[in-house]
Parts: sequence; C-alpha cells; structure tokens
Amino acid sequence: MAAIEAHGLGKSFGGRPACREVTFSVERGEVFGLLGPNGAGKTTTLRMLAGLLAPDAGRARVAGCEILAGRAGGPELRARVGLLTEAPGFYDRLTARENLVHFARLQRAREPERKSDALLDRFGLAEHADRLFAELSRGMKQKLAIARALVHDPEVVLLDEPTVGLDPEATREVRSLVAELAAEHATIVLCTHHLDEVERLCSRAAFIAGRLVAVHEIRRETLLRIELAAPFQPDGLRALCHSLELKGSTLLIEPRAAVPEIVAALVRAGARIEAVTPHRDPLEDAWLQLLAEAREP
Amino acid sequence: MIAVILRKELLELRRSPVLLLSMVSLPATVVAVPVALLAWLVHAAPEQALLFVQDVYGDRAPGGAMAGVAASLARNWLPMFLVLPIFLPILLAAQSIGGERERRTLEPLLATPVATSSIILGKSLAALLPALALTWVAAALFCLGVDAVAGQVLLPDSAWLFGTLVLSPLLALFGNATAVAVSSRVLDPRAAQNLSAMTVVPLLALLVFQLAGRIALGPRFYFALAAGVALADVALIAVAVRLFDRERLLTN
Repeated sequence: MAAIEAHGLGKSFGGRPACREVTFSVERGEVFGLLGPNGAGKTTTLRMLAGLLAPDAGRARVAGCEILAGRAGGPELRARVGLLTEAPGFYDRLTARENLVHFARLQRAREPERKSDALLDRFGLAEHADRLFAELSRGMKQKLAIARALVHDPEVVLLDEPTVGLDPEATREVRSLVAELAAEHATIVLCTHHLDEVERLCSRAAFIAGRLVAVHEIRRETLLRIELAAPFQPDGLRALCHSLELKGSTLLIEPRAAVPEIVAALVRAGARIEAVTPHRDPLEDAWLQLLAEAREP
Repeated sequence: MIAVILRKELLELRRSPVLLLSMVSLPATVVAVPVALLAWLVHAAPEQALLFVQDVYGDRAPGGAMAGVAASLARNWLPMFLVLPIFLPILLAAQSIGGERERRTLEPLLATPVATSSIILGKSLAALLPALALTWVAAALFCLGVDAVAGQVLLPDSAWLFGTLVLSPLLALFGNATAVAVSSRVLDPRAAQNLSAMTVVPLLALLVFQLAGRIALGPRFYFALAAGVALADVALIAVAVRLFDRERLLTN
C-alpha cells in the first residue's frame, strides 16, 4: 500500500482556491517532490497531508490514516507524520536541546532525551545543544527543525521548503541531510520551488500551479543526443537502447550498450551522423512546458 | 501533555526577566503603598486625620482610632487583591496563542498530536500558577505589614481568607480564560492583552467606590461574586476551547 494517496484534494480560503484537484501517490521509501511557484498551493497541500488543515474537497490516506473533505487528520495522523514547517518555529529562550526534547515529548517519542541527543549528534549540533535557540545560525536552526521532524520516527516526513533562506553552505548541508534520509528509505515529500533540489533528491515530482498539473518522473540517466544529417529509421537500434525517440533529425537515446557500439551500429545501418553529445532531460524544460499548458485557456 | 506544555511555559517565564519584573512590580506596589500610608497615618498623621478616616469609613476597632483606620484599610484594600489574580495571568495568557503565532511556533505545536484542550489547559496553568503564587505572597506580606504597623493581629480576617483562598483562584481562572479566549481570536498579542485587561475595570470601579466611601462591600457581596465567577469560569473555559480554531489560527 502506498504511504500517501491523495485524490482530488482541494482547499479554498475565503472563496479563493489555494489548490484543487491534487491527486498523487507516494510509495513507501520514495522521495517525492511537490513543485510549484510561490503561492501555487504546495504548503496548503502539505498542511492537509500533515493533518493541520481539512480539505474542502477530495480525500487522502497518509500513513494509514484517513483525511476526508471537511475533516482534518487527527492526532493519530499527526503522530505518524513528521513536518518541517516553512519557518523553524522554536522558542528563543530555550536551548536547542530543550526545544528538541520539548517537541519529542509532545510527539510522544520514546525516550525523548536519548532520541534528541542522538539526533543532535547526528546533525552536528551536539556542541551547540546548550546554546539558546536565538543564538544559533540560520543553518543550525533549520537542521534542528529537520531533527524535530524526525524525533518521533515518523512513517512519513513532509519537508516544506527545507533550504529557503539558507546560505549556500547551509543549503548544501541540509540537502545532504535529506539525501541521507532518502538513502535510508524514508518516505519523504519535499515541497520546494527549486527544480535542482527535486532533480537531485526525488524520484518523481508533482507539478502544482493552483491545481495539479502533472506528475513527472525524474530521469537521472544521461541520454545520448545524436544529430543526423538526413532522415533515418532507427528501428534496428532498439536492441541497444532502453528508450529511443526521434525528433526530426535528432535522435534521443537512453543507451543500453556502450556509445561506440551504438555509433557503429548506426553507421552500419547507413545513418549519417553529424554529432553525438550527452544530453540530460532537464526538469526545467518539462516544468516550463507544463506551466505553459496549465495557463492555456 | 499538559505537564509538558506547563513545564516549557514556566521555563520560558523563568528566562524572561522583564516579564517577571512587570509581574512582580504590581503586587509590590499594591503591598508597599497602603502599608507605608498606614505607617505614616499611625506614626506621623495628626489625631484629627485618623478620626476623619474613621468617620469616612465608619470602622470602629477595640484598639482605638489607629486600629479603626487599619481595619478600614484592610477592608477597603481587599478588592485590590482581587484585581491582582485577574490582571497577572492576563500578562501571560494574552500572549499564549497570539504570541506563538507571532513567533511562528504555533504550526509546529499544532502539528503534534496534542489535543486542543491540553494546549489550553497547559497554557492556562502556566499563567495561573505564577499569578496565584504572587497574589498569595503579596497578600501574606500585606497582612504581616498591616499587623506590624497596627501592633496587633488584624489580618487575615475571614473576608481576607475567603478573598485570597477562594475568590482569588476563581478570578485568576476568569482572567486567564478571558485572555486565552481573546488570544485565540485577536491574533495581535498586544491587542489581546489590552482587550483582556478590560475585565478588571468592574472590580477597579468597585474599589474606587469603596475607597470613596460610597459603598461597603461585605461578605454577602463576596459570596455572590464567588458564585458568579465560578459559573463564568466554566462557561469561559468551554468558550475558549471552542474558539480555538486551528485552521483560522494557521491561515489568517
């Protein structure tokens, strides 16, 4: 069973729709991206999945808990979900450790002190554990917030803009933390407007622009772009490729065999090759195309 | 969960010297000013001044004019010790929800499995307990001060005991529940504090009328007040829980 299944989720504020028709599913152990421009409804979607807001329409199942139209998820759901909120949201007059232990207790974590210490250690915050939260750097605050999202061993982790407002060094640290979690097969929904973040970390991403536009599979493999001097039927090449796409005189190949072998096969088949270059399928292209389609009347 | 919230709130309060000072300054004034005034009346004021005070308030005590003045002060100043337990929790409780929202700690708090009633009770206790402790310490110091100046044990009498032990907690609950309810709807903590502070106006008015010698509040009044406030407390707590709209707090 999928960790998250959302069907037609919609939410309006004061008659103004924040998001609608949001449908996607996230498998256990998958890192799933929620992409969209500012104000597209990503945070609203995440808040519905975290049991903070009740959807106006649709339904969802998160970590086995039901969310129905007009009824937000209850305490059971909130105990199974770890949410990284947009702002770190800690108490300035409490130390990093006191803050984390406080939320661990609220989240009914087992052995809250021990668990908090372990996370502080893991996230490189142990030596800052007794500093007041207000004295921590922005990056440390964000890492502490991620630690809070994990302190109760949630089944699903929802990360809302984990790198927003961070300097490049802190951004890199936070991204590597998320990558570590992904490597441990945590189920993560990563909400962001940074395409490169999704490209690096996610296996699939939902594009949201007021409504769900599409769910896109992230391709990390480098494709082979072959420019041909004349039209050519590449059917004989299929055995050497995972996928093959001909766009005019450009052949896009996801190779199964080595590049010289593919080139040799093409030449043998009579193709006239002008150039062979590596090609990545940039998410940005797909995103811009989907956005343009979404804006069409 | 209530204990977890209470512990955090008290820890934050302990580390807020300005807030603590503002909470202590009012009870300190309420104790120091009347005791100093009484000491001046007893030791430095002419006999006619004592007799004038006696005539205004009509109190007679076996110890003579000075004891009569002390009895007047004790009786007339009691409402001020009923204002304290309403006002002090407001200083904390009015910040409770709106303050969390302003500091952006509300969303992480609401994302935990903690029930609304636990949040409200935890925050209410964190406002009530320090306020009651301060009120009781201030009342004890006032009684000791009056007795020391009068040279005899005048306080606490039955009205004072009833006022501080029964009425004070009920009024503290009233002030707190009002502040939490207002704080749940009025999201600006300063506005919430100002609005909540309006609840002390009726008691202050009674105090002014009593000090002016226009009314004399007796046991019947205090019993009626206790019954009324107890009923209001139950209603206000229910209203505070109902007004705590998670979605509205997050999205408005």
